Amino acid sequence: MHIELRVYTGLEKYVGVRHGEMTTVAIDGTLTIADLLHRFDIPPAEVTSALVNGRHKELDYRLQDKDRVSLFPPVGGG
Amino acid sequence: MSTLSPLQEKRYHRNTQLPGVGDEGQLKLLQSSVLVVGAGGLGSPAAYYLAAAGIGRLGIADGDVVELSNLQRQILHFTADIGRPKVMSAADKLVALNPDCHVVTHHCAVTAENAADMVSQYDLVIDATDNFPSRFVLNKACLVTNKPFIHAAVLSMAGRVMTILPNQGPCLRCVFREPPAPSAKTTFELGVLGATPGLAACIQASEAIKYLLGLGDLLVNRLLIFDALAMSFEVVEVLRDTDCPDCGSGAQI
Repeated sequence: MHIELRVYTGLEKYVGVRHGEMTTVAIDGTLTIADLLHRFDIPPAEVTSALVNGRHKELDYRLQDKDRVSLFPPVGGG
Repeated sequence: MSTLSPLQEKRYHRNTQLPGVGDEGQLKLLQSSVLVVGAGGLGSPAAYYLAAAGIGRLGIADGDVVELSNLQRQILHFTADIGRPKVMSAADKLVALNPDCHVVTHHCAVTAENAADMVSQYDLVIDATDNFPSRFVLNKACLVTNKPFIHAAVLSMAGRVMTILPNQGPCLRCVFREPPAPSAKTTFELGVLGATPGLAACIQASEAIKYLLGLGDLLVNRLLIFDALAMSFEVVEVLRDTDCPDCGSGAQI
């Protein structure tokens, strides 16, 4: 089972990718979004929104085969 | 006003030459109204371009006064404006730029109590705020009053823009459910290059004018996210969430 992961705005350093670059993550068994963050040592406080296939999901969401996951850090200035 | 005056023909020539604009489109802009909430890093360039384009009535809402540390990015304000209300400083520049633009100042913070009333007086709302609580209040007010809401946020050299058309695509809280943790770093700690909100605000102004004239494709169901350090612009698909507390099936509108 595989998912597609894209991260933005400072989270790239944890995953070792460029801004918005897709990386494929292999999954054995069940994996939640929280587990995914743990796998890449991404502090949960640095993720303000997780989208799966374009829709908001909570960190306890169990990832499915071919899910497209996007992670966004807090960006709130103006 | 049914035709452009000779001076307006000249002033707006580069607008009216655009495909799909013409005199008719320009007259539509002159009869349109936009509320820019926040007269800072995003609000300054957004308001400049909207006023220059000939938006007939431009509301500027901000409760703050100009500070020295604002001036590296908040280009509506000059050194001599330090200490003045931002809305007054903004109005001076915008009217001087284009006397066709009637500027309405709202010298107050946007709150759950005043947002819907303020928003209802305009055709469209620009999110140029610098905090999530204000954004969530505006998101809800725009849903309640069925107004287009053009969101942007920036930090450091990164930013994002998304256009929200109530019931036609995701709202802000479909995508960003909760405010960032209080420990999240802000522009105070991480800085912000002045041109970064400029980039986002120019996209907001473009979206606003496209919406008002019914042109092109809006950032609906799409989040534009950019990183000016990598100079990378990405578009992420975003969809409505039926569980959204603001616009989902259980929302109290």
